[in-house]
This record gives sequence, structure tokens and C-alpha cells, in this order.
Amino acid sequence: MSAIPKNLPDEVQAPVTTRSTSPAPALWSELLLRSMAELRELFTGLGTELGQETADDFDHLFEGGQRLTQMLSSTEAAASRHDLMNVLAAIRGYAELLHEDLGGQFAEVGEALTRLLKAVQAANNEDSTPPVAGTTQRVITSEPGFILAVDDLQENRELVARYLSRSGHIVVTAASGSEALATLGEADVDVVLLDLMMPDMDGHEVLRRIKEHPDWRATPVIVISGSQDMDGIIECIEAGADDYLFKPFNPVLLQARIKAGIERKRWHDREEQYRQQLERNEKFIRATFGRYLSDEIVTDILERPEGLELGGDLRRVTILMSDIRGFTTLSEHLAPAQVVTLLNRYLGAMTDIIMAHQGTIDEFIGDAILAVFGAPQHRDDDANRAVRCALAMQAAMDEINALNRAEGLPEIHTGIALNTGDVIAGNIGSERRSKYGFVGHPMNVTSRIEDKTAAGEILASHSTLESLTGDFRSGDSRKIKVKGIGESIVVHQILGFAT
Amino acid sequence: MSEEKPILLVEDNELNREMLVRRLTRAGLKVLTACDGQEALDLMTSELPAVVLMDMSLPVLDGWTACRLARQDDRISHIPIIALTAHAMEEDRLKALKAGCDDYATKPVDFPELLRKIETLSAS
Repeated sequence: MSAIPKNLPDEVQAPVTTRSTSPAPALWSELLLRSMAELRELFTGLGTELGQETADDFDHLFEGGQRLTQMLSSTEAAASRHDLMNVLAAIRGYAELLHEDLGGQFAEVGEALTRLLKAVQAANNEDSTPPVAGTTQRVITSEPGFILAVDDLQENRELVARYLSRSGHIVVTAASGSEALATLGEADVDVVLLDLMMPDMDGHEVLRRIKEHPDWRATPVIVISGSQDMDGIIECIEAGADDYLFKPFNPVLLQARIKAGIERKRWHDREEQYRQQLERNEKFIRATFGRYLSDEIVTDILERPEGLELGGDLRRVTILMSDIRGFTTLSEHLAPAQVVTLLNRYLGAMTDIIMAHQGTIDEFIGDAILAVFGAPQHRDDDANRAVRCALAMQAAMDEINALNRAEGLPEIHTGIALNTGDVIAGNIGSERRSKYGFVGHPMNVTSRIEDKTAAGEILASHSTLESLTGDFRSGDSRKIKVKGIGESIVVHQILGFAT
Repeated sequence: MSEEKPILLVEDNELNREMLVRRLTRAGLKVLTACDGQEALDLMTSELPAVVLMDMSLPVLDGWTACRLARQDDRISHIPIIALTAHAMEEDRLKALKAGCDDYATKPVDFPELLRKIETLSAS
């Protein structure tokens, strides 16, 4: 103290002295506020047993406590020691008065008052320490958040609002549970500070409703208990509360918990955004590609992110290729719109049939359809379904042609080729453009067989016929020379089901 | 301790003032109050209290100045003044005594001790 120049004004001297001499400056204030809270509880319990004068003394005591709380939360060093000492003086005065009057009669009150007075004494002993500086030395910086403070007591709401708005948060208050729920319905709240003791709808009920609401359940709730009611707090945590504070709370602790709450909420918000984005993407992919790919492929791609990687695996599949005989010549005599009508009708009907047989449409090439049975999903009856599908496709042509005739469009006839073999199935292409597709020798062979089909005919390779387990009627077998492959293969006419 | 003459409490902090009035009254004293230094000097002149309890940080006219002025005024220079100070530091105590206060009590006051001081000074 000797180092301090004597001519400095008091306001300057005080803080300078303290920092160096006080190791734990804020302890007494916590002690004091805690015993103040205890007394508040006890006072509420006693209520009518006390005379008016005593009740007035309590009121004054609590007013002192409240002023002290405000001062301790003030970051302005200007909350001078003079003011602080005045408040402490008043608290001490009333506490001593009450102790004289009640100490003998109500042991618990007496003990709480004694603790309070000890705290004042501690403050006094450290009188060179402005606790204002002590409690606020640790500054909690946090992303600003939108805080909903729920408390039925106006002074508590104001206090919290003052604490938190000072650190940049936006604070809205609610005086009751129903008001709080209404606010939650209107605004995107980051953290709820919830007092447990409220008339009408208490904090437990508000908490329950928040945690049951699909949109609010992720909003962190910090419950505030007026008493050291650990059982009540445990109940709240079980009911979904994220954190808790006992009144009177340390402003720094409040800030720290609010910060953690905001971070939790932000994290959840980001996750939620990401989830919604994914959902939108998936919807978009399904809507866009579902028209071209079977649901199975779409689901397969969506469910396995690695399915989007380029590359694939070797699969034994039955390939179905169909096209309209003489379509090129046919379309030369039609208006473009008519060609499109004709094609759409045909491709639409065929798509339905192929999908009904769980085939995978690889692509439409003009009037040609390339479908595969056995990828992405292998089934034991892949070849059977492919043959049944081909028969159904041919059978559907009558109906299509009836419609064509009715509209003055030409009749069309298709040839269908079936072949079974090992192909590579997977995402083929470049990073920018890829599709689920198939490559391999059997694909080319199918195409060559297709070239040999006549209108209304289904030709299956020997390998397909060998893969069949059901009974089908096959007709002529022929050996065809396949262009560019350098070998001849045996194909069989498929006529229908065995009867 | 039932003095005929009242004691004067000069304190601008309402909470603290009320508390002291309540306690002093309960102790059997007649208490007058003033909220600033000027009012204190006026009441000292008109009521001639037995003892003055004076906070030092006061609006309008601070406690030290009021004290100094009281000491220069023959009508009231004899009235004992107890400084109520929020500062327990030696400098503040000296400052109050230099200004002419007879004694001092540091806030939050030890009430029984304050009563003893009042008794001593009002008896003299």
C-alpha cells in the first residue's frame, strides 16, 4: 500500500491496491448471495407467521441483495466501492436486526443470517477488493444468441436481460410458461433460461412441452432453481434439460452456460440444415432420375455413397434389348410430334412392363430399349423374369397398335433379343458425367442378336435358355453369324409359356 | 439513552439511511435525517442535534466540506460529527478527521460500536 501515491483520488486507488492483494476476490459475494437466496426461501416459507415490521425488514434486506447482485454484474468499474459499501452496510444492518428479532425463535433463519453476516464480514475484511472487478475479470465471449428468459418475477427477468444483453445477446423475456411457449412458436430461440418455480404452468411442465415439440426439442434449456434442489434438477436433466443453475447465479457461470448452449444449438442447426439439404437432393435425384432409372437403382445409389464412385463389379445378368423394326423408315413419313407420341406411348408401356418385372432400364437409344435383369440386385429368377418380360412386351403391342390405329398412326412391331452373361455393372463415365450402366462382351452380343430378330419375334441366346428354370416353349433354333465377333452363336425363338 | 436532543443522520443512500434510522430508533434515539451536506448544515443550525452521523460522499455538498464549514460556524462548531465512511483505508480516516470530524465508523458499521461512539460523544 505504501507504493500508492497519496494524492490519487479514491476511485483510482482502490482497484489498484486490490488486484495484487486478493487471491480469491469473488468468494464472499457468492457466499452472500447464496445465503440471501436461502433466506428468501425461508422467508417465503414463514410468510404469515411474521409481523409486518419483520416482513418490512426482510423486504429491505432482499432489496439490498438485489442491488448487490446488480452491482456485481456490472462491468462498469464505476459501480464504486462507496455504493457497494452502502449496500453491504444496509444488508448487514437489516441482517443484524432480523437476527436479533428472529435468531432465537427460528433457528434456520438465524443460521442463514449468521452465514450472511459472515459473508459481509468477509467482504469487509477484504475491503480493499472491489468484487465488481473480481467477478468480471473472466470475460466469456460468445457468439451472440437469441435467449428466451422465463421467470415470473420481473426483477429476475430484468436482471438476466441486463447480464446477457451486455454481452451482445438478444434477450426476450416471458413472465409465464404459456408466454414462453408462445414466444418459442414465433421466434427461433437459441437457448431457453427457465425458472422452475412459477405459478400456473411451472418450469417442469414448460420443459416437458419443449422437449415433446418436434421443432423445439433441440433448443437447449437451462433450468434455474431458486433452491439447492438437486433432486429437482436431476428430474429436469432426465426430462431433457441441458444444463442448470442455482439462484443466485454467478454471472460468469451464466455466461459460460449460455455460450455452451448457443454452441450446441448452432451445431444442431447446421446439422439440421445439412439434413434438409440432403433430403432435398434425394428428392431431386429421385424425381429426376426415377423417370429413367428403376427405383431400385436410385435407392441403391442413394443408400451407398460409395455407389456413386466410378467403377463397378462383375455380374451375371440377362440382357434384354428391344427395338421397333423399320422405325427409321417409318419415322421419315411422320411429323416430329407424331414420332414423339408414338415413341412415348411405346416406351411408356414398355417401361411399366420392365419395371413390373424388376428389370433395370439401362437406356433408351432412339426407339431401342436396353434393360438388364440381375443388377444392381441379383435374383435367382433373373433369366425367367427377363423372358416373361419379353413375352409381356410383345403381348402389349396389340393394345399399343390399337391406340395407334385410332389416332391414324402406323402400327409398330418390335423384335426382342435376350442374352445372359457376365458384364461389369456400375457407375461408368467421368467425374462430370456418369451413369449406372453395363459394359462387356454380352452387351454387344445382345445387340447383334437384336439385329437378327424379326417383327414380333423374341430371340434368346443359348446361355439364357440354359439359365431358365421355368417352362417356356421355344421354337426354332438357328445359328447366327455375328458381325464383328468372329464366331457364330445359337439362338432360340421364344414362343410363350409352356401350357 | 433517551436523549432529549435528536441525532442527525446524513446519508444519501436511501436503503442505508432507512436501515440506520430503524436501528437507531429501536435503540431509543430520536433521529433526524438529511440527504446532502447542505441540508445537514441547515438542520444542524436549526435543530442543534446532539451528534451528527455523516456520510462523506454526499451530493450538493460533500461530507468533508460540510464538516469543515460546520467547524467554522460558531453556532454549530461544537456539535460532534461521526464520519461514516465506505473506505477503511487510513487516508480516508485521516481525511475525515482532518476535516474536523470527531470520530469515524467504517461501513458496514459495527452497530454496537457506533452506539458507544454516539453515547460517548453526546455525553461530552
